[in-house]
Parts: sequence; C-alpha cells; structure tokens
Amino acid sequence: MNRSIAPEIKLIESIDLPQYDLVHLDNGVPVYVINAGDQDVVKIELMFKAGKWFEDKNLLADIANRMLREGTSKHNAKQIADEFDFYGANINTGAGFETAGAVLYSLTKQVDHLLPLLFEIFTESVFPQKEFDTIANNRKQHLLVDLKKNDFLANRNFVNALYGQTHPYGRVTEPEDFGKISTADLTTFFKKYYNSDNLIIIISGRFDESLIKRLNLFFGNKDWKGDMPAPDITYPSHPSAELIHHTEKAESVQSALALGNLSINKKHPDFLKLSVLNTVFGGYFGSRLMSNIREEKGYTYGIYSSFVSYPHGGFIEIATEVGKDVRQATMDEIGYEINRLRTEPIDEEELKVVKNYMSGKILRSIDGPLKFSETLKGLIIYNQDTSYIQQLLKTVREVKSGELLELANKYLDFDKMYKVTVG
Amino acid sequence: MIQFEQFTLKNGLKVIVHHDATTSMAAVNILYKVGSRDEKAEQTGFAHLFEHFMFEGSESIPEFDTPLQNAGGENNAFTSNDITNYYDILPANNLETAFWLESDRMLSLAFEEESLATQKSVVIEEFKEHYINQPYGDVWHKICALSYKVHPYQWPVIGKELSHVEQVQMQSAKDFFFKYYRPNNAVLVVAGNVKTDEVKQLAEKWFGEIPAGEPIVRNIPQEPVQNEERVLEVKADVPVNAIYKAYKMCARKDEAFHATDLLRDILSTGDSSRLYQQLVKEKRLFSSIGAYISETVDAGLFVIEGKLNAETSIDKANEAIEEMLAQITKEQIDETELTKVKNKIEAYMVFGETNILNRAMNLAYFEMLGNPDGINHEIEKYLSVTGEMLHQVAVNIFRKENCNTLRYLSKN
Repeated sequence: MNRSIAPEIKLIESIDLPQYDLVHLDNGVPVYVINAGDQDVVKIELMFKAGKWFEDKNLLADIANRMLREGTSKHNAKQIADEFDFYGANINTGAGFETAGAVLYSLTKQVDHLLPLLFEIFTESVFPQKEFDTIANNRKQHLLVDLKKNDFLANRNFVNALYGQTHPYGRVTEPEDFGKISTADLTTFFKKYYNSDNLIIIISGRFDESLIKRLNLFFGNKDWKGDMPAPDITYPSHPSAELIHHTEKAESVQSALALGNLSINKKHPDFLKLSVLNTVFGGYFGSRLMSNIREEKGYTYGIYSSFVSYPHGGFIEIATEVGKDVRQATMDEIGYEINRLRTEPIDEEELKVVKNYMSGKILRSIDGPLKFSETLKGLIIYNQDTSYIQQLLKTVREVKSGELLELANKYLDFDKMYKVTVG
Repeated sequence: MIQFEQFTLKNGLKVIVHHDATTSMAAVNILYKVGSRDEKAEQTGFAHLFEHFMFEGSESIPEFDTPLQNAGGENNAFTSNDITNYYDILPANNLETAFWLESDRMLSLAFEEESLATQKSVVIEEFKEHYINQPYGDVWHKICALSYKVHPYQWPVIGKELSHVEQVQMQSAKDFFFKYYRPNNAVLVVAGNVKTDEVKQLAEKWFGEIPAGEPIVRNIPQEPVQNEERVLEVKADVPVNAIYKAYKMCARKDEAFHATDLLRDILSTGDSSRLYQQLVKEKRLFSSIGAYISETVDAGLFVIEGKLNAETSIDKANEAIEEMLAQITKEQIDETELTKVKNKIEAYMVFGETNILNRAMNLAYFEMLGNPDGINHEIEKYLSVTGEMLHQVAVNIFRKENCNTLRYLSKN
C-alpha cells in the first residue's frame, strides 16, 4: 500500500437544510421551532431587542439582563435559583449588542415545570437593591482582574480607537461605572425593552408539538406589549486620530496585539466572498497568519483574523499574543501577508483546501438541532433566512482567486489599520 | 444510552463503533494512554509538547492538518494528566481520509528537527500566555506542588518550568513515541453516520499492519496519605486576594467517585449551590467562589477556590469556607437537595450526548478506564448515591490534615 497517496475526497456540492417551522403566539411573538435529534432535551432561546445598543447609560443592558434571575414580585433570588436548579435546568442570561435574553436548557420531561418561572422573570422582575449591590460588586471585581490581562486590554483599546466612547461598539467600562447606575434605571430599562413586541423565540430539541401550546399560555400573553417598539437609534462614532496605540507593561513577557479597521458587515453583498478571503488570511488553523507566525516562526500560540459583523457595523480584527521581543517582527509579518494577498492571486491548491474546509464547516453548522439553532439565530438577527446558508455554500464553491485579489485590495490595507499593542 | 460495537485488531488496537444515522458527519477519536503522569521529573511538559509534534508530519504525509481540512474536516487534541486525545470531525463520506492520516502518524512520524524546534517555541508561548503573563496564571503550578510530594501529578500538564520544554531533544521524542504511541496502547472510536463493517475494513486496511509495542508497565509512585495541613502564602501582582483549598479525594474508578462529584455539585453547581448562596450572596465575603474536582486516574483533588471581596480578610475567608464544610460533615443532606443535584447531573449527561464527538470521547475514555459500556451506567451510579454516602465522603475529605491551602494575595 502506498501511504503517500490520499484517499479520494468527496466534495460537498450541496446540502440538505434542516427543517424548521415558524409559528406565532397569540400576541404575535414569532417562534422558530426545530424539532429533531435523538435526545429528549429542549433549548429555549429568548431574544429581546434589549442589547447594549438600546442603553442610555453604560452597563444598563448587561446588568438589567443579569438581574432577571435576582427577584420578581413573587419570588426572591434564592427561590428562583432553587427552582431552576431543582429541575436540573440551566438558564444562561446574557446581553449582546443587539439582543439580550436567556437560554434555557432542560430535559424535555422537566420543561413544563419551568415555563411559569421563565415567563415570570421576564415580566415581573423587580431589581432589589441588595441583589444589585452584590451583582455590581462581583462584576466590578471581575473587571479589575480582566484589566490585568493584556489581551483584554488590547481588544478594549482597539474597539475604543475604532468607535470612541460615544458608540456602543467602542464604549469601555471603567470600575467606577458600576456606581453610576441605579435600580430605578434598571427598572425603567426593563419595562421599556422586555416585552412581547420586542421578542423572538427559538425552540430546539426533541419534544411533543404541544409544548408550543404550553409556551403560548405564558409567552403568548396579550397584556405584555410595550409602550412602543424599540426605537431606531443611531450613534456618532469618534474614531481615534492616531492609528498606533501602545501601552507599555514592564513586567509582561508577552505583548497582546489587536490590528484592524472599520469594514462591512453581513448585510453587504461582498461579505460572503470576504469570508473566504478571511479564512485564507487568518480564519482557520491552516491560514496564512497561522502558518507563517505560529507554524514557521513560532512567535505565538495562536493568531486569528475575523471580520466582526454587528447589525449596525463591522470591522476586521487581527489578534494575537506574542513574545515581547518579536512584537515588531510579528507586525511586519502581518503587513507582509496582507501585501501578498493584495499583489499575488491565491494559489489554486490553497484555495481548494479553504473551499473544502469551509464547506465542511457549513455542514457542521447545521448538524443537530442545537447547533442549527445557533446558526439560525445568527441569521434572524440580520433578517436573513436559511437560503443564506445555500448562498454561502455556492459562493464558497464558485469564488475565483481573481475576485479575492480584488477584495483584498478593497478591504485589507495594512497602512490604514489601527495597531494596538499592550505589554 | 450510547449503542456501540467493538473489536480488537491483532496488534492490540481497540476499535469502537457508534452508529448515528441522524448526522452526516463522522467523529474519529484516538485516545493514547499516556499523559503527564508518565513524564520524568526532569522532563515535565513533554507529553503535551509531543501532542503538538504529532501534527508536524508523519512517515508518508508531510503535514496532518491540510489534508483533513481539504476533506471538509476539523481536528484538535488535548493532553491531560492521564491521556492524550486526538479527534477529527469530518463529513462521513470522507471518513477514509481520517483513517489514512491517523494511521500514518501512528505508524511513524517524520521526526524533523526543525519542526520540533518550532513546536518548542509555540509551546513556550502557550506557557507564557496562559501561565505566566496572566493574573493567577501560576496557581495550578502551586497547588499541584503543594498537594503532591511524590506522585507526578505534582507538576501541571504544561510542565513545571519553561526550561524543561526548551531542553527537549529528538531522541526523547522517538523513545516516547515508540513506547506509548503503539496500537496496543490506543483506543480508536468512530462515531456518526458510519457502519461497523466499513469501519472494520478501514481499520484493518490502515491500522492492521502497524506493529504492536511492548506492553506498558507503569511504576508510578502513589502519593502517601497526607497527615498534615499544608499552607502556602504567596504575593503577586493581582488586583484581588484569592484562596484555594485543595483536598485529597479518590481516584476516578473508586466507588466513592460519584458521591464525591455530587458533593461538588451541592457546593458549587448553579446559583442555588451552597458556596455561592452562603458566601457570595448572604455573607458577601467573596465576589466569586466555586469548587471543582480533578477527575484523575490516580487519587485526585477536590478544590475550592474563591476571590475575596475587598473587606474580607484572608483568615476570615478561610474560616468561612471551613465552617461551611464542617456543617456538611455534621448534618445529613436533605432529600430535596439530593434530588436537585441528581436532576442536574442527569440533564448534564443527556445534553453531553447531543454531540457525537462527546459520545466518541466518552466511549474512548471509559474503554481506557476498563469498559466502554461504563458510560451507559453513569447516570444510574449517580442516581443511586444516598445522603449517607455523601455524608461519608464529606467526613473523609473535609479534614484540616487532608487540605492544602494556597493564600494568593495581592502585593499592592
């Protein structure tokens, strides 16, 4: 047997998208239903337009969301924790830039016990002062630790340089900010944004269809509309005039780097093709940045690039941590790789590997109901449907290296990038 | 319930097949029964460095990752105290690519000096990134060294010090490979949209001719029973004081393991858990606190770690944890609390099964422990734990002379 000959590869030319239903509760709340798989589990994801974009004071979206588990008019924080835990459920709350909400993970046989409380925390939260003090303190202590991490600082200084403090994508939190919000602020934010007009639900797992009826008994409530829909807000950005930002840390043995600039987001027609270019550049383990800076030079444990997309904007970010002595050398290599993408067409063999890798990744992104629900969520936020996945596969299969060369010249320019270093 | 079939090749390679028709993917998981506990005291971190080296080309294939990515796959690996585990996930119809790649690197490596040098640099940067240039980064080094005086668990998987990684020579890599990376010391699990016949044929074709190695005889010195309380105090550039209490606990296969794990859940799983409720919420002594177990083949550690609020003295923090643990040793656990942690663990186990890679890893791990079917009896073992068993475990573990305390203080 000749072991140097690879087995034949079967290409992924098309995919069968998983089935899902879109139904509406009595009050109009859309519910995406993915009923599949082999395990009797349920994941209920509740997404409210209550993210950082909608806050008028730093931290409101985050703390209001975190405090949903800290007390309602009927149950205190301990009772809420006891109830979710007793039935073996996990409830993760979290606030992003656009949406905020909760994800409930439960065994199918237990989920009915949890629906009343799940509804209650979104409709009757009361934000007790004592619990607020504890949560704010814990968050602040956590931030103090993060502020000692070079990678955290580099990312924070980077987004702040791109957008400035006036914009939610660039705004950074200082320890004293925790003292500037009150439980009254939280209550106001909660009442304004957590309501049925502002909600989308994704339910995935394996369950009896009647579960949707029981979900409707609570979340379909018609007396739960907000005063007004979430307003369409815009913010001015104040990018830094300086491209280079360095924070020296005498005691550090490594420096954290964050490089990049504002760019397009998922809504832009170039974004699909750009995701192929990014994969070549720094988007997977075999990327040029990884091959050069980790696998050839040994400067770092890892280096990645990504086109970060948010509903109201986007940027490219290249991030790594490297030995202090090779900080400049790493910077030079990043510039070299960008220049190479702008001047030389990508070799067909290299592009083929990227295309095949990305096709496999698309297949993995829809494998199983829970994984598919994550992918679907990423589409819903942009008002896209699953045809986007087919479009992505088609783009990946068809894009030519000439087009990628053009895109590199349009979207990658080392000289115009912010270069933020810490350490 | 994870259904599976199993067979063994003539060279001793154990193969387990788990069929799942609901996925279009396949997971290929190879567990090698070697970890940092097999290292020499002067060459710590070696098993993990070697894991990196496994991606640097094998006898007939210059590099591991690219052909797998070309087949639409993704792969990674991890090293623990006891095992080194490699996995590939790829479209099931490209399954053979994973067999080709994995078998070639089990047959023999390229052993190139240049790639060893590069991976040493990469691992040194990994060491710096996670254990030096990081607040509290050296905590695990300190806990291991304090808790184990004889057993190789006294150094962490990444290695005791950078110099050990720097000094590695090629001959050690060759010796290590031909001793531990042999088919008779490995478990291959194939899970997903695959058939046993197909896997059998591929296993024979690609792995069948790889020669077996000598049987592994381990003489790992076991840690003697600890008879004195150990306390270490360090000062570092961190913003918040922290405390770590590492108690000796049983080995993974010990019959007290499941009760010990549930005891950990009672202390620390979920917002309703005792540590969080009493010490963060009620007494407000800590900003965060939790417990975890090391889950090792030889006797392990039950660790409680907390970050102190600014007003809490380190003595007060220690006292509060000890008081809480003493309370568990004095009273019976009530039925509601016991039912809660059982419900929690059951949900955790079932959610774990939603992912084929997890299923594959679990089958491999339980085969390493002695029986792959063990994974299918885990839930019933947890459900059969009684309050009395939990109580007994708590009494055995939470003793001062069984404890290693690290007081990690801010020097500012």
